[in-house]
Amino acid sequence: MESTHAESELSLIRKIMDDSRRINIDNGIHYIFWGIVVTAALIINYVLLLTKSYMNYIGLMWMVLMISAAVVDGIIGRKQEKKSKVSTFAGRTLGSLWLASGVAMFMFGFLGTMTKAYDPIFISPIISTTLGISYFTSGTIQQIGWLRNTAIGWWAGAAVMFIFPSVHTLLIFAAMLIGLQIIPGVLLYRKSKELI
Amino acid sequence: MNFDYQQIDDVIHSRIRTSIMAVLVSVEEAEFNFLKEKVNATDGNLSVHIKKLEEAGYVSVKKLFVDRKPLSKYRITSKGYKAFEKYIKSLESIIKK
Repeated sequence: MESTHAESELSLIRKIMDDSRRINIDNGIHYIFWGIVVTAALIINYVLLLTKSYMNYIGLMWMVLMISAAVVDGIIGRKQEKKSKVSTFAGRTLGSLWLASGVAMFMFGFLGTMTKAYDPIFISPIISTTLGISYFTSGTIQQIGWLRNTAIGWWAGAAVMFIFPSVHTLLIFAAMLIGLQIIPGVLLYRKSKELI
Repeated sequence: MNFDYQQIDDVIHSRIRTSIMAVLVSVEEAEFNFLKEKVNATDGNLSVHIKKLEEAGYVSVKKLFVDRKPLSKYRITSKGYKAFEKYIKSLESIIKK
């Protein structure tokens, strides 16, 4: 084999490996799903607080909605995994990241308030801060700059909600979910359809 | 400059099989159609070359049914990793000569 042939062979291998590693691993479905569920729950929570109705059932509503959503999300994830054309180490890392942050958010949302560790009004900024970490890492793993930068939005929003706590933080958080989770989810979904 | 051809792994040394190995080294697992798109091969052609890699123990296959449709997923074996690494080193040594 000649040196030039070996060089072209190596450059082909490098190109294929680079292309394959850049595969879009996140199709945004989980972002859209959780974005819609949590936004709906936040709006229901806000209305119940404003109208002072069924106040004792707010915690239960969250518990039922979140656990049901986690089960449905697990089923969606399992189906996607079976159907997926490709699985990567980065994809598995992302799955672990979101699972770990999901567990952390459940603990902040339920255990933190049930034990009265903090006022429930601070759940939104605490979860927003956690989401900032997850988005920053997720964007870095996938080498998607704009996704990583949404973390700035999550942290800025968290700062506002920490500094100005009120019942309206629920609406702020709902708006953040639409702008920083559902819309990015739709963009990732479109991108995944183009690439695979 | 010529090179000792005996140092080159014949199983990998084919454009399509090198490409298959390069894809599988980069991802954990890939489905048949994905590989077909990536290496730009026909069904028959890809099947033949994957079979060669399987017979050499470089690639393993997992066959399953999703929505009643058969699906084949391929991944590189540790023997395949080592062989591919050796192949790359052989290419690099040719360039250095």
